[in-house]
Formats: sequence, structure tokens, C-alpha cells
Amino acid sequence: MDTLDYLFQGFATALTWYNLLFAFFGVLIGTAVGVLPGIGPMSGVALLIPVTASMTGGLGAEDAATSSIILLAGVYYGAMYGGSTTSILLNTPGESSSVVTTLDGYQMAKKGRAGSALSIAAIGSFFAGLVSLVALVLLAEPLSEVAIKFGPAEYFSLMILGLAAVSGLAGKSMTKALMMTVMGLLLATVGIDNVSGVARFTYNQPVLYQGFEFLTIAVGLFALGEVFKTILEQEGNEGEIIKVNSILPSKEELKASVGPIARGSFLGFFIGVLPGAGATLASFFTYILEKKISKHPEKFGTGAIEGVAAPESANNAASGGAMIPLLTLGIPGSGTTAILMGAFIMYNIQPGPLLFNDHPQVAWGLIASMFVGNLMLLVLNMPLVKVFAKIIETPKKYLIPIIVAISIFGVYAVQVNTFDLVLLIVAGIIGYFLARNDFPLAPLVLGLVLGPMIENNMRRALTTSNGDYSIFIDKPISAVFLIAAGLWIIVPLILKLKGKKVITNEEA
Amino acid sequence: MNKQFDRYASLLFFLIGSGFMWESKKISESAYGSVVGPNIFPFALGLILVILSLRLFYETFQYKNEENENATLDYKRFFIILIAALLYALLLEDIGYVISTFIFLIIGFQTMEKGGWLKTLLISGLFSFGVYYLFVVVLKGSMPGFPAWLGW
Repeated sequence: MDTLDYLFQGFATALTWYNLLFAFFGVLIGTAVGVLPGIGPMSGVALLIPVTASMTGGLGAEDAATSSIILLAGVYYGAMYGGSTTSILLNTPGESSSVVTTLDGYQMAKKGRAGSALSIAAIGSFFAGLVSLVALVLLAEPLSEVAIKFGPAEYFSLMILGLAAVSGLAGKSMTKALMMTVMGLLLATVGIDNVSGVARFTYNQPVLYQGFEFLTIAVGLFALGEVFKTILEQEGNEGEIIKVNSILPSKEELKASVGPIARGSFLGFFIGVLPGAGATLASFFTYILEKKISKHPEKFGTGAIEGVAAPESANNAASGGAMIPLLTLGIPGSGTTAILMGAFIMYNIQPGPLLFNDHPQVAWGLIASMFVGNLMLLVLNMPLVKVFAKIIETPKKYLIPIIVAISIFGVYAVQVNTFDLVLLIVAGIIGYFLARNDFPLAPLVLGLVLGPMIENNMRRALTTSNGDYSIFIDKPISAVFLIAAGLWIIVPLILKLKGKKVITNEEA
Repeated sequence: MNKQFDRYASLLFFLIGSGFMWESKKISESAYGSVVGPNIFPFALGLILVILSLRLFYETFQYKNEENENATLDYKRFFIILIAALLYALLLEDIGYVISTFIFLIIGFQTMEKGGWLKTLLISGLFSFGVYYLFVVVLKGSMPGFPAWLGW
């Protein structure tokens, strides 16, 4: 069967009534997550993993996995749509990848063009979603065919590259990012070693034999960490929400947006494919690019439609692009995709080159559902944008305790023990203090997810080479990955030494 | 960046790293059929963490201490909600999901902002019963709903 057949089968999966429902709830919740300041895509996806796990309990293993992943991915790209709403109406980005949108979006809203800004953002996001999906369809098979030839040594080096890329670009201090990565890898070693069956660092505590559950740590660090931050720092909703008048953009505005949307989509997609560089960087770069090539660069910052169209397309394209390394190589390139990968693993499905052979239903069902989901988002966002703007007014009073209650419910529903609940709260406290002091959390989760696989591949590679570490350099592909990983760490350091400002990725 | 926090953090991570190195020595060195045992990976990672924390400690002398913008943190509300959440977690199995969630939400809502009792009771009640009904009755999930001594 060729790609098209698989894609049609994917659509058959995605268009069953319950999967349509899952996709719909995914994008709906995603939009809400994007609109609400305080919950980003990472905590949104982490919070919903246990909820979807319990919802799909009645389905067969593969169906359950397909449906949950469809919903979770919907939250991820739905959040990219929603994030623009608060940027434009409130001058507060709902998540970090919409920060640039505030520059021109809010100015447009102030001039009474909020509706056009919102609809252009939605149209741009939709187009970008389509572009990244077509690219995903075209690249998925060839990439997994290359990746399937990788041995353990190549895999080990590729994962090191993934970790290096995320650490090299995360947060203000690379030392701290690297420490968080190593900490994640170390936490992953607790529990029964799955090569030899030896218990490590468990001290005869039965709860530790399984190791630290990724889900508990992720929900704690991101969702509870954010909750504690909101309580401690008394963040309130300030500023006035600008009223939305007509939602249809004018002809000139549409015409002016065509170029930026197209450029934003392609650039955003390629940035999204690179590990470590996520939606935030993509929106930032495209904004700079548009300003550079514009005939009227002085208009930027005063309400130029291009300044909304380009970054909003880019962050959506990037979130689609980020799915490529996850699905074809099994390497998440960002915090949110790391959490998605954790969800795959929870369902005993290993993302990577074998995914398309072993579980075509999951892989193609997901890709097809992303087409459907993007269409739903466009329909949802154009007429309902006024309704979503109302979500911003949800009082913190009710939101915060309910997030705590959902976290506790979710973790208990999956883990069914009190130890994980306490671990969840402790992770929340640690997450708050680490994030407050510029220790990025995404690398830690990435390390925790990739840890067991890195160790496995390393030991398998070393077994074939009789313990000779030079196997990682003797194999050419592996050597290239390691050199790239080294460059990813060293180049920003050199740039910093030269006094240049390095753009880093906020967590997204 | 907070110099004080970073120094304590580097010390803590130094201890964690060396702890992992020390403890990994106790793991048996070789596994059947493999030259590289289960101890190598944690040992190497512990070593890297130790080196990185030394590097962070050195870095703290390089930068100026910047005060965090919001100096006043609302510790009172934080501790009330934290303790309530801990009790919620610890008591969930004993007094059941519905009652513990109901009480936690009431405490949570009222700590965030006093007043609006009717709404507080309504939302807490709807959430705790609603989640219980959906999860246990509809989806047949396993969750202690009510205290065992009630005999429900």
C-alpha cells in the first residue's frame, strides 16, 4: 500500500463518530487552554492524559490509544490558535509562542480592528496547519525508512542530539538547562533496570520499583507549579478586554496577509522540525523576517496585519513540524511533544520508525485527525471568537482549586496510590521554585522520557562492540549526530562569549 | 537571577550527583551477557551533574544579584492551599473521593476569595459528585467514592 491508501484509512479512522468527538473536545479544550493565561499547552496536555486514559477505558488497546492521542494532539495545536486571542484582545499572551503577536495585534485591536486581527490569525493558523500536515504526510514514510536502518549506536547519538538541542536553547542559563536534563535522566534510572532486572536506588520501597512515573512528575511540575505561582505571586486579570466588532477582514487586509502567511507557514514548519527550536522561536523569527522584507517596516508595532499573520501562522506550522521527529524518529523536540511521547508510551506504543508499520491506525489516524481538527478550529474560531474571549474572564478563584482537583483526580485515576499524590504535590513545589529561578523544566521532562531509551541503546551498542566506546564515533551517522549535538551546545556558548545576544526558547 | 538560590541549588545538586555516584557503586557491576552493567549510566550521569553544579557555583560569582520583581509573596494563601492539598491527597483513600474533593474545593475557593457561599457550595458539589458519577458509575473506574464504614 502506498501513502495515499494509508491516508484514506487514516481518514476512515478519524471520521468515526467518537474520534470526531475526541478531536472536537481536544481542539475545544486546547483553545481554552491557549486563551487562559497560566495554563500553557504543556500543562494542558499533561493534565488531560489521565482524563483521556479513563475516558477511553472501554475501547480496545489500539483504539483507545488512537482516540486519546487524537484528543491530546488537538489540545496541542488548539492552544496555538487560542493563544492569539488574549494577545490581541488583552495584550497578554496566553502562551509564550504568542508573545510577538501582542506587538501588532493589540495595536490593531485598539484601533477597532480586533475582529480582522483575530480572523487573520485563525486563517493563517489554518493554512499553516495544512502546510505542515502535507509535509508530514510526504516526509513520514521516507524518514521512517531511513530511521529504521539505525542501530542502537545511531539511536543513542540521535537522542543525545535531541537532548543537546533542547538544553542548548532552553532558558537563560545553559548550565541550568543541562543540569535539568541530567537530573531528568538520573530520575529515570530509579526503579527496576529493564536490561538486567536489577533494582536501582529503590531501598526496598515497593512504590519505587516502577520508578518515578512520568505523568505524575509532568503534571506536578507544570500544572501545579503554575498554580502555586499564581497563588504566590497574586497574578490577577488586569487590563480591559477590547470588544470585538466585525470579524471579517477587509479585502486589502486579506491581500496583505497572503505573503506573510505563506512565508510564516514554511519557515515555521522548518523551525518546528528542528529539535529544541519550537513555536516561540518560529513566531519570533518570522516576525523579524517580515519586518526586514516589508516596504514599510515603520508600520510594524503600530498595528500592521503582517505582524499578526506571520507569527500566528508560524507557531501553528511549528507545532505541526514538531510532530515529525516525534512520529518518525521517536525523538521529541520540545516539552509538549515530550509529554505527548509519554502518552504514547503509556499506551505501550513506541513512537519512531516502526510506528508506521506496527500501528498504522494510530499514526495515520492521528495525521488525518489533524486535518479534521484544523478545519474544526477554523469553524470554531471565526464565529465563536467572542465566546472564547469570555473564557479569559473565568475567575481565578474557581479555576485554581479546580486545576488542583483535576490534577489529583487524574494522577489517582491512573496510578491508584497515595504515594504518587504526595509526589505530585512535591513536584509542584519544586517546579515552582525551579522555574522561578530560571531552571527550565522542559529538559527535565525530556530527560525523564528519553532516559530509559538512551540507556538501553547505549548498553546494546556497547554490548555489540564488547564495551568499546569508540563505536559511537566509528559509525559515520552516529558520529555526525554527536558532532551536531556538540555544535548545538558550543555555538551558543561562543556567540555568548563574543557578546552577541542569543535568542533562547521559552518553554512551549 | 537569584544568587542565593543558585548557590544553594548548586550545593543540593552536587549532593544529589555525588549521592547517585556513591550509591551506584552498590549496584552489581555486570549483567548477564553484557559488558556494561546497570551501574555505569547512573554513575556517569552523577559525575556530569557534579561537574555542572560546580560550574553553576562558579557562575554565581560572575553575575550581579537581581532582586525578583514581586518581592511580596502571598505565603498565607499558599500554605493554606498546600496543606489542604496534602490532606486531600493523604485522606482521599480513607474518607473517599466525594467528601474529600468537596471539602478541598470549599477550602480552596474560600481561600482564594472569601464570600459567594452559594456558588462555592454549588460548584464544589457539582464537581465532586459529577466527576465521581462519570468516572465510577459511567466509566466503571476504580476510585473509593465514599468512606468504607458507610457501607455504600
